[in-house]
Amino acid sequence: MEQFVNITLDLLVGFGETLKIFFVTLAFSLPLGLIIAFGSMSKFKPLSALTRGFVWVIRGTPLMLQLITVYYGPGLIFGQVLLTSTAAVYITFSINYACYFSEIYRGGIESISKGQYEAGQVLGMTKRETFFKVVLLQVVKRIIPPMSNEIITLVKDTSLARVVTYYELIYFAQRYIKNAGLLWPLFYTAVYYLVFTALLTFLFGKLEKKLDYFN
Amino acid sequence: MNILEVKDLRKRFGDNEVLKGISLSLKKGEVLSIIGSSGGGKTTLLRCLNFLEIANSGLITVGGKTVFAAQEGEKPTIAPEAQLSFGLVFQQFNLFPQYSVIENLMLAPKLRAKRMGTGESNEEIEAKAKSLLATVGLTEKAHEYPCRLSGGQQQRVAIARALMLSPDILCFDEPTSSLDPELTGEVLRVIRSLKDSERTMIIVTHEMEFARHVSDRVIFISDGVIEEEGTPEEVFGNPKSEKTKAFLSAGQK
Repeated sequence: MEQFVNITLDLLVGFGETLKIFFVTLAFSLPLGLIIAFGSMSKFKPLSALTRGFVWVIRGTPLMLQLITVYYGPGLIFGQVLLTSTAAVYITFSINYACYFSEIYRGGIESISKGQYEAGQVLGMTKRETFFKVVLLQVVKRIIPPMSNEIITLVKDTSLARVVTYYELIYFAQRYIKNAGLLWPLFYTAVYYLVFTALLTFLFGKLEKKLDYFN
Repeated sequence: MNILEVKDLRKRFGDNEVLKGISLSLKKGEVLSIIGSSGGGKTTLLRCLNFLEIANSGLITVGGKTVFAAQEGEKPTIAPEAQLSFGLVFQQFNLFPQYSVIENLMLAPKLRAKRMGTGESNEEIEAKAKSLLATVGLTEKAHEYPCRLSGGQQQRVAIARALMLSPDILCFDEPTSSLDPELTGEVLRVIRSLKDSERTMIIVTHEMEFARHVSDRVIFISDGVIEEEGTPEEVFGNPKSEKTKAFLSAGQK
């Protein structure tokens, strides 16, 4: 019993590391995704082509490969390590998720009827005002389901960070196999992920309800 | 004096010339109806007046001031605040769904007061919104959201919203075309009441009866040109152009 409690607490520390990746990634990728979305929708062709090409590369290659590239790449090219594993993980996850979010944003923004922009214009509102005061909340409402999907995927993708020696929940559990011959802590980690995604599902449901008053 | 002068307005989409030199003028308090078949250029004319489309060439003056001037192949000059000379009521209402009725009315004036530093207070804006809601008969719906209103009510809100910034000329783009027949009456009544209060209006419409009874002047646009122009009696009673005759008799079948 004491062992169970101790391991539970130890894994909780590991889960704390997992949550760090989760929240830092969200904090950077949510706004960055919007910037990338604007880039890919730009009427300036070279910019939109460049942005879309970048999104294609990021979405078209495994996140694990991107982590390895960012972490070990500078060492291979310049002969010295530039980034700590923590920095490499935060940067790679943020850019990777920003690209996925950007496509969700773009879909949401393009689904808003032209009439909303035109109404803003004929009422003398600036483009900026129309976007932030009229369009954005409608976009948010529409993208909640795909965003919640992606964000829940992020919770579990954090386990990839271990390939660049970032010690998160799965790594913590795996140590018990090597050091104590215990297999169950590894399977036990599922409970942490499940509880956390349950919480996220509940929060997204709440948010969806909150925006139910308009359509 | 004419409140509105439009001279030789032309608009092309690619190779397709939709407006082939439209000229018209309007006196203060006058109501002008624009009729014609779909694709003839009525809506494009209205959209050019509201700068939702930018005409390729032509001149627009409001109250003697040039708000738009363009020559073929040159960048047009548009006066600052030209947008506010015109108000537009859309066929599809285009209310902002996340805002209540009164917030729909107040949003643009509030943003404008902040942006321009006009010193207009929220209380003044709210008072104006309330009085306009009373004008369109929707005082009791002030705090409802658009999705809870009928199409006719939504369109009346849109009319009130367009009046919040006191445009010199209020334009309507087929204001009843997306409404169920039983709801068109309430919207047309509101427009008629605005005529009584001396609003200058341009109405693109398929409601011939309404055009006949409410407008001071009617123009028939076909294929990008004004085919016929006159009082309702002249245009409906005694049309000169063959195209107008054909259009009007087709509508009666």
